Amino acid sequence: MRRWTATTEGAQTPVLAEPPVTAEDIARSWDRSRVHHARTHKKRWWLLWLLLGPGILAMLGENDGPSMIAYASDGAQYGLGFFVPLIPLLFAMAFVCQEMCMRIGAVTHRGYGELVLQHYGKVWGWFSAGDLMLTNLVTLVAEFVSIRVGLAYFHISAEMAAALGVATVVFTLSGGRYWRWERIVLGMALFNGLFLVAAILVKPHIGAVVKSFDFTPFPGGSVNNLLLLLASTVGATVTPWMIFFQQGASADKGMTATDLKHGRIDTAAGAVLAAIFGVGALIAGAVLFTHDGSTIQGFAGAGFPDALRHVAGGAAGTVFALGLIQAGAVAILTISASTAYAAGECIGVRHSFNNSPRQAAIFYAANIGVAAVAAAVILIPGAPLLSIALNANVLATVLLPVSLVLMVLLANDKALMGAWTNTLLNNAIGIAVIAFVGLCGAAYGIDSFLRTVHLIGS
Amino acid sequence: MKGADRGAGFEEQDGFTDEPPGKEPVMHLERGQFVAESSQPVPRASLSARTLAGLWALRIFSIVVSLMVIYTFIDHLH
Repeated sequence: MRRWTATTEGAQTPVLAEPPVTAEDIARSWDRSRVHHARTHKKRWWLLWLLLGPGILAMLGENDGPSMIAYASDGAQYGLGFFVPLIPLLFAMAFVCQEMCMRIGAVTHRGYGELVLQHYGKVWGWFSAGDLMLTNLVTLVAEFVSIRVGLAYFHISAEMAAALGVATVVFTLSGGRYWRWERIVLGMALFNGLFLVAAILVKPHIGAVVKSFDFTPFPGGSVNNLLLLLASTVGATVTPWMIFFQQGASADKGMTATDLKHGRIDTAAGAVLAAIFGVGALIAGAVLFTHDGSTIQGFAGAGFPDALRHVAGGAAGTVFALGLIQAGAVAILTISASTAYAAGECIGVRHSFNNSPRQAAIFYAANIGVAAVAAAVILIPGAPLLSIALNANVLATVLLPVSLVLMVLLANDKALMGAWTNTLLNNAIGIAVIAFVGLCGAAYGIDSFLRTVHLIGS
Repeated sequence: MKGADRGAGFEEQDGFTDEPPGKEPVMHLERGQFVAESSQPVPRASLSARTLAGLWALRIFSIVVSLMVIYTFIDHLH
């Protein structure tokens, strides 16, 4: 009697031994049965709907509080110009990286952390996890600051901002299903479009926006300030947590090699939406360019929402403040999830939303714990929130190249990837992205350090 | 019936593996997707000396630049 079969969307393959079945397997296979049904019945839009998720969440999750502030700062300090076309270009780079980790997750059914740990050894695995923990904690603090700034616009306290952020994490985790978590966060992520609404409300000159796509005028002024904005803008589009998150989520969702086409559509859709909304934040910030925008410190006082209210009206300020709350909240969910995936993968315990909290205690504890620690930081009186927020993206940019190199190595490993290894073009673009990200982060880090120790003029 | 509910007592059910494809949702998982399979470690890769040297160089460089960023950050606090 045939006791077991494993399938690739209907292709029956008898196997030798039956693996034990867990509740996590059952939950995931129910999701897969819907995908199978949609595919065999040629329900194309339903299939796309089922397979959308990790890519859009990674991209829109990266349009977080510090990122939107970085884009708005680009606009406020330099107006429309160089940074407008740079944002779509950076998201095109992000697509290349995210497509790679989606592909690795779908083919190997494993997260980035466990693959690096098992395949390249504990040293590299724990280095990657350490980078992630550091940048995630710093970034999460910045996300809570973003929520705090947004809520402050409506005269709501910092304590409430911290409580709301942690409560959102707990609420989304309460279903014991990846699908439920993904759909809730996906619904929240689409409100990133508020930044596009803010851009429309400031009534930009369309001709000037279109003209700025020729990368002119090139920003002038302080080189160090330009490098800071460049590094933080790069860090606003490609970061270590996105790699851990999308690969882990693709595996958790149950994606397989047969889903790669839809995984690419998902990732591309996320990149396009994130680029549009990011440019929206820049355009909204650019309205401050001729109103002393360069003096606006995003997280000092009420920052951008208040400044926009004075220059472009209450509606623009309100929408931007709501956007900051949304951006911070979604990023808290996705970044906490990436921390939980990494913790579970590196410790070697269950790491799936398809488990109950009792079955995956460390996964859930890491998810909530890292958010709670970050929330506690913003309640510390006198904590340097502005500096933390501004440096979060820069630190991510500096630490990213090693993670990207390991990802490219994984994507080229025939033993793991079989027929789905990188093409020459994938590798060429991947290496170019690594070089660009490394140069941007290093240029700011070295220049700032030399100025700080007075080896070059400030 | 919801998947999570179904999963609770699933192991005790008899005869489910002989259901036709499509009727039993577990049938739609690839073998490598089962927790039991994905929990098995993948084989260790052997990196060439040049790759390892490059990785270590990049690692050390990123740590040094990170320390510069952190030093600058702390200095600006004063």
